[in-house]
Amino acid sequence: MSALTTKRRRRAPAPAEKPEREHGGSSIDRQRRRLLIPFVGPAFIFYTVLFIVPAIAAVWISLNDWAGSGPMTFVGFKNYIQVFQDQLFLKSFGNTLLLLFVVGAVIFTLAFAMTLVLRDMAAKKIVRNVIFFPHLINALVFGVLAGFIFNPGGMVNTLLKPLGVSEPPAWLAQDNIFPLIMATMVMTTTGYFTTILMAGVDRIPPYFYEDCALAGATAFQRLRYVILPLTWDVFGTCAVLWTISSIKIFEIIWVFGGSSGAGIPPTQSWTVAVYTYVTAFSGLSTPAYGAATASAIISLALVSVLVVLLRRAMRRDVIEF
Amino acid sequence: MSTLTSSKSATSAPQPVRRRRNRGGVSPALRADHNLARSIGVFILWIVVVVSIAMLAWIVLQAFRDTREILSSPWGMPTSFDFANFSTAWNVSGFAMATLNSVVTTAVSSSVCVAVACPAAYYLSRVESRFTSGLSMYFIIGLGIPAQVILIPLFVMLDKVHLTDSLIGLNLVYIGLSMPFTVFLLTAFFRSLPLEMEEAAALDGASALRTFVQITLPLAKGGILTAFVLLLVSHWNETLLALTLIQSTDKYTLPVALISFVQQQTYSGADWGGLFAGLCIVILPMLIIYMWLGRRLTEGLTLGMGK
Repeated sequence: MSALTTKRRRRAPAPAEKPEREHGGSSIDRQRRRLLIPFVGPAFIFYTVLFIVPAIAAVWISLNDWAGSGPMTFVGFKNYIQVFQDQLFLKSFGNTLLLLFVVGAVIFTLAFAMTLVLRDMAAKKIVRNVIFFPHLINALVFGVLAGFIFNPGGMVNTLLKPLGVSEPPAWLAQDNIFPLIMATMVMTTTGYFTTILMAGVDRIPPYFYEDCALAGATAFQRLRYVILPLTWDVFGTCAVLWTISSIKIFEIIWVFGGSSGAGIPPTQSWTVAVYTYVTAFSGLSTPAYGAATASAIISLALVSVLVVLLRRAMRRDVIEF
Repeated sequence: MSTLTSSKSATSAPQPVRRRRNRGGVSPALRADHNLARSIGVFILWIVVVVSIAMLAWIVLQAFRDTREILSSPWGMPTSFDFANFSTAWNVSGFAMATLNSVVTTAVSSSVCVAVACPAAYYLSRVESRFTSGLSMYFIIGLGIPAQVILIPLFVMLDKVHLTDSLIGLNLVYIGLSMPFTVFLLTAFFRSLPLEMEEAAALDGASALRTFVQITLPLAKGGILTAFVLLLVSHWNETLLALTLIQSTDKYTLPVALISFVQQQTYSGADWGGLFAGLCIVILPMLIIYMWLGRRLTEGLTLGMGK
């Protein structure tokens, strides 16, 4: 009790010190500082042990030749060289780049167009809620569904028959799967980015639009000089988000079209994530942990470079409304 | 009758009157401009909405039909509400165990993750020094590391301590993996809270710990719930790590069970009815969460990402 009162007395002149509060001189700040270990400690340990340590270990494993058990032999960058000479990896890497750039470009164009239409549409809340929902569904579901919709006796072909298409393309042929995956990705991801862009566009205060109307700006001018510059930072965030998530695409490829016999998708549709997984865990050949990790590290390098570039390119002064 | 005449007179009234009748006094500058491209856009959007809802309804309906019916007419309606597919999926195909595993794993890992991340985020949002901003950066780095990078080392590490093929191991992995995102989101959220209440509590002599527990946590309920729900969604759907770390059938989580179900079909012939039932079990909890807390989800995502 006495401790309480002394504390109180000490804090009594606080208002006078107010400007200096930032220095952390007050006792509450000092007390807070002491909470570092109990407050941040657990999170720090979980994160370091289960995330950072494995990430550093990954760098080390990628420099070694290792089959998971048995001895590790240090081979330097041999794994990287070997991976880059592997046709399968190049194909997977190319596919990942296709997803990243082509699908990304389509998604952002569509999402932005949808945002513009949605901005002042009646019932925009309903529409927004519906198009966001696919983001919450496991991509596996879309992969499985695609198998049903596109199989030879499936829905698409029964729809096409009355239109006179008697010999529809073999949708699920190995060469056609990847374009289909790309289309599916566009359909299922656009809504998510539309929602985020919408949040950015909704933040623009109405008086900007009023000003446009007064100044007689055309719809295009309004887009070019008001909406785009004011949502630029949201675009940047979305681009970073897409970069990070597109590198991880795995599930949808793994089961797309019902998968092939061996349980491994056809190599034409692999992404880097699939390559990493198969190289390490497929059980078809000796697991090559070194090469698998090297391929994962390469994708990490790709992400880092792109994120840094994006942040550079999209950097603008923060606009406060 | 009287309403009819009044509306008529309103429409035929001169411009200024009409303008005032706009919904909620929205200024003309904010109203939609009507041109062909826009109308097409609105039309397409509505088609997207209708198709999405129809798709979802279709999946649920197909789950009530047997495979032969589904294959012979994929557009057909179920003739009766027969739960046979669900009971087969549930009892024979192991979805019951998988659902239980998924529910437990998702709930436990999400709660622990939020509980651990909350104090850390609070500290990082309230104490400002070079050290804490460095610490924040340290947590943020994890946002950019794709899961496949840590996949193999994690597998090896957990194998050493016999935590592969164990749900405890999977829980731990999920907690660690979601830590950067949760800390990041909650730090942003705590920063957005007003400081006045905490200052008042401090003036009243509450310790820093007590201020956190009794003042800040109740204030932050909304943000914490948002983080929790986002974690539920991502842990419920997580596939790659579960597929790698879990080997025995009785420990499968739902996505892994679904994958193994799909792969069995290539040998034993397609059981689309059962498959649709499985898809429903994966989708429906997300739908319920979305209906219940949807606004929070979208707001949380945009708050966390808008920075």
